[in-house]
Amino acid sequence: MLLVPCPNCGPRNSADLRYGGESHARPDPATASPHEWRAYLYLRHNPAGWLRETWYCRSGCRRWFALERNTATNEFRDPPLPGDKRGGAA
Amino acid sequence: MAMSRLGQRPTEVIKRSVTLHFRWNGRSFSGFEGDTVASALAASGQQVFSRSLKYHRPRGILTADYWDPNLMVQVGDDPNVRAGHRLLEEGMDVRAQNVWPSLRFDLKAANSLVGRFLSAGFYYKTFMRPRWLWPSYERVLSAFGPGGRVDIDSPDRYHDKRYTHPDVVVAGAGPAGIEAALAASKAGARVLLVEHEHSVGGHLRYSTRAAEQVALGKLRGTLEASDVEVLTDSTVTGRYEDNWLGIVQRNHPIAVERLIKARAKMLVVAPGLIERPYVFEGNDRPGVITSAAARRLINLWGVKPGERAVVFSANDEGDAAADLRDAGVDVAAVIDGRKGHRINSTRGSRRAVEGVVADGVRIDADLLVVAAGWTAPTSLLNMAGDRPAYDRYAARFFPSNPPDSVLATGGLSGDGTLDELRTHGAATGRLAAARALSVAHRIQARTARARAVGGPEPDWAADDRLPLRRDFHPELFRSDTHGMIDFSEDVGSKDLLAAAREGYDSVELAKRYTTATMGSSQGKLETVNTVAVLAEARGENIGEVGTTVWRPPYAPVSLGALAGRVFEPVRVSPIQPWHEANGVRTILAGQWVRPDHYGDPAAEVRNARSNVGIIDVTPLGKLDLRGPDIPKLLNLLYTNKWSNLAVGKVRYGMMCGEDGVVLDDGVTGRLGEDHYMMTTTSSGAGVVWEWVENWLQTERPDWRVHVTPVTSAYASINVAGPKSRRLVGRVVRDVDLSPEGFAYMEVRSATVAGVAGCFMWRIGFTGDLSYELHVPAGHGMHVWEALIEAGADLGVGPFGMEGQRIMRLEKGHFIVGQDTDGLTMAPSTGLSRLIRLDKENFVGRPELGWSGSRRLPMIVAIQPDHPQTVPDEGCQIVRGDTNEILGRITSSRMSPTLRRSICLGQVEPELAIGGSRVTVLLASGDRIGATVMGHHAHFDPAGERLRG
Amino acid sequence: MADALRFESPVTRSHPAGESGGLTLTDSSATVKWLVRAFDEGPAAACLQTPFGSSRQDPSGALVLGSRPGEWILLGAQDAVARVVESLQGFGSGDFVTAVEWTHGRAMFRVSGRHAPRALEKVCSLDWSDPMTPDGAVTSASVAKVICDIARDDCRGTLSYLVLCDRSFGQYVFDALIDAGREFGLTVVPAGLSFSDTQDTVG
Repeated sequence: MLLVPCPNCGPRNSADLRYGGESHARPDPATASPHEWRAYLYLRHNPAGWLRETWYCRSGCRRWFALERNTATNEFRDPPLPGDKRGGAA
Repeated sequence: MAMSRLGQRPTEVIKRSVTLHFRWNGRSFSGFEGDTVASALAASGQQVFSRSLKYHRPRGILTADYWDPNLMVQVGDDPNVRAGHRLLEEGMDVRAQNVWPSLRFDLKAANSLVGRFLSAGFYYKTFMRPRWLWPSYERVLSAFGPGGRVDIDSPDRYHDKRYTHPDVVVAGAGPAGIEAALAASKAGARVLLVEHEHSVGGHLRYSTRAAEQVALGKLRGTLEASDVEVLTDSTVTGRYEDNWLGIVQRNHPIAVERLIKARAKMLVVAPGLIERPYVFEGNDRPGVITSAAARRLINLWGVKPGERAVVFSANDEGDAAADLRDAGVDVAAVIDGRKGHRINSTRGSRRAVEGVVADGVRIDADLLVVAAGWTAPTSLLNMAGDRPAYDRYAARFFPSNPPDSVLATGGLSGDGTLDELRTHGAATGRLAAARALSVAHRIQARTARARAVGGPEPDWAADDRLPLRRDFHPELFRSDTHGMIDFSEDVGSKDLLAAAREGYDSVELAKRYTTATMGSSQGKLETVNTVAVLAEARGENIGEVGTTVWRPPYAPVSLGALAGRVFEPVRVSPIQPWHEANGVRTILAGQWVRPDHYGDPAAEVRNARSNVGIIDVTPLGKLDLRGPDIPKLLNLLYTNKWSNLAVGKVRYGMMCGEDGVVLDDGVTGRLGEDHYMMTTTSSGAGVVWEWVENWLQTERPDWRVHVTPVTSAYASINVAGPKSRRLVGRVVRDVDLSPEGFAYMEVRSATVAGVAGCFMWRIGFTGDLSYELHVPAGHGMHVWEALIEAGADLGVGPFGMEGQRIMRLEKGHFIVGQDTDGLTMAPSTGLSRLIRLDKENFVGRPELGWSGSRRLPMIVAIQPDHPQTVPDEGCQIVRGDTNEILGRITSSRMSPTLRRSICLGQVEPELAIGGSRVTVLLASGDRIGATVMGHHAHFDPAGERLRG
Repeated sequence: MADALRFESPVTRSHPAGESGGLTLTDSSATVKWLVRAFDEGPAAACLQTPFGSSRQDPSGALVLGSRPGEWILLGAQDAVARVVESLQGFGSGDFVTAVEWTHGRAMFRVSGRHAPRALEKVCSLDWSDPMTPDGAVTSASVAKVICDIARDDCRGTLSYLVLCDRSFGQYVFDALIDAGREFGLTVVPAGLSFSDTQDTVG
């Protein structure tokens, strides 16, 4: 089981967290075209390599945050320091 | 000639003063404490332990340990027990598995089927045609299965689970593994040493060399005095991401098996080497054993393996001639594989060796002891991502490049004297401890709760171990004859060559086609021989062919260990003991154990409609909201407007996802200036909470709102029915309950039956006058009992989920997830007045804005023509006599109030007009007529009862 | 009448169990509990002096748990807890402080004795070793698949852990802890004792 480096709780089993998927910016709902909005809802880059993704530490600190993970090796980049926890909405 | 018991051996592990009695296929036998099932049977002269899977050949001892594929037996109701490993117990009932004569064929096809079993790929060829024979094939196949019998009436046994976080796990307690564990422990690491066998020591356990026995004694003593946690009869079954290890402990006193989930900072892999069988004609005849098996039988259990032996040896360690002579076995010949001598075949009956043909000459013998080489069980390294490489010089695989957190030692990494192996083990232990220290420092520094650590993270220790050398070993896999390769799957070298000829010459394809390496030994005995024969077929060497990928488990894991102790949390309301004492039939709704009904749901409905009923709705999701920005939050999350909700008022709202699909619904009440209570569906409570947190944390971090889940902080009781006001009035004194003083969709703080800190609101899921009381959970039972007592003369009675579902259906309230699905957009609910596109922004607004141009199905009330016919939920609504689907029934019940069947359903928009005629296709295939109603409510559409 | 009301514990089934002195499970659900929220590093946080992951005994007698960033759980006698809550008022717009009484929303158990870490590791995947979870540590994690707040709160040198979970799971978690502790000869102290009573039963 993957160890996810929660910026608050330290490394935790991935089962302790909820995976929020790729982090991506939410388009402005007032101006987004249907095409842009549906790309936001349904399209993912799914790269083999570094990916910025959202996690929710549901068993621990109960914070949503973004982390960078290499999808090919499951290596995480060091998590951001506390205070920089913004991720995309799931 | 059979095996027999020898006189006392200095290295034996049996206690001859304790005799154990057991049964083998119904006959009485005895052995000693410390015997395995197999050693006791062998000492009693038993030669045949099983029949092979396909050819049904008699099979005897091959390796006399955990991996022995020929020793799978049934013990009591426990199938697939490894008799080479399982310790004998008093009173054991042991039986052979896969015994041919008991397999009855009632099919004429049987004989021809048996013939077709003999070829490679039979699984794929035999059972394909004709299709109509499949049920028979299945019966035959299940009878053919090599497993024992599973008795489904067996009592459950306790399988335990435990987590642990050692600094270093050492897999394998041979001399190198023990040294690694001791060195790591001495360096300050927390060490878990895991040994597959019943005691530590590896091959030293059955060595008769004095120096090795002394060394073993000292190692054991040092280990006992150390802080190393030692698990014997336990297997590291898998290595997963970040050194997450599965360990099965088979000898725990309180459990049949214990599954240990270990998160190790470092893993040391030290499983030693496994002796490989040699492939030649008759190599599976009882009487052909490996050299390690001979030495184990003689030195551990005092079993004389035969009378007259031929020894084939290609290495010093495997030369069992001295041990055999010491045990009184006449060694007729030693055939030295290093000098080019070969075993060609064995001769004899199906049940026993009578002679050995070596270099074309027959030698009379009842025992052939083979030492053809070693297999490196690199499984744990492979699971860590390593791809071990084949070395022709040493004739075995070696680790290539495992990750930094995994180290190998012992025979797996090279050859050497005992001292050299121990030195390498100790160096490995020190390296593991040093690296574990770095990992521990990093984890501790990043974990809020941990003790603070000073200083920088220690440098990552470099691997400065002196590598072990590699000794020459001849490449001996197959002789000039054909024989068995996979004993558990009954796959021979001819089968593999045939598979290669048919085109399955890649090792992964040949494995699946022939099933070689897929049996109970998990490839430990047969993988290298499989690869070698394929290499021969392809005219290549083993390194070019490559091996199959070793995946978890290292050794087979019982389903009990995996499934044994499953945690299934359940939630109950504080009133549950009352329900149980009053004849409740419960229903599991999500994790909640809820009252479904108390015997007669229809009567509960009639009582609630005519008198007053109370229902425990504690699972209703409740989120306590505090802060000045709550109206902004509600405007964002709900589709309707919330800016003007006054204190004391309650409003209904619907939530959508970003895709416009209905996510949840419920009421939210304003209890104070900056204090609201949001309710969600019972099943949606957790999801909505996380969703709200996500919006607040990631998109609106500047808003001042705190959300607290208080679902179980309050016992929630809905009091419903025409007499509900009178009943509530008897337990609530501090609220004006008159229709003007406390109107529909209002909320009040209250003291209920003496309990302060309650709140209640007038809403009406059932469609009748009703009050929902929310009382601090620690007094929920008190209030419930007070209501029952106070309402006795009003006819108060409890009702359950079923009654509530009937009443809400009478009233036409849809349930999210029942009447909606993952595609139901908000306009389909018919509540378009609650979708305020004129609001500046809310979740789901873009899609809902665009949905006007889409043909969305609509939720409607439907009544079948025949009032007694209740179509099943999920029945399709079709066009006339065709199969064109126009919708489906989402809810249906017999209404006790209206005395007729009532439904909710989703239909095409054209049909969502009162009076439309539809056809419902019943599960029986019959079609019935039904009418779409003009209003969702079958009952009291004007809502007069509700607002009274 | 309110004075006569008895707190109904979520633990309603009793369990006879052995007595070893090595492990005790106590139901302390009746303990007064409050949940306080404020800025991670605002004036209220400074006042509480209990960063996430740690705990502190307030001079009032209340136990303050730094349960999450910007979140604290207060445990103890009613007036002690109330005093701490009152001390967090008056920061104006410089902080955003709310306090919710949670006594009825959370079950609370105390697992004490030298075998406590071994019992906990049967139901929870965290590392209970001293460096990772020292006395005073606060964390939350899944216990037998229910998310719990856990605080190490040793009593007079005896290892001791407070386990708080959603009240509705109370009986289930209590049963799971009994199951985990059985091999250590668990002693069970059944129902609804107050916080101070709990402290006295240990040691």
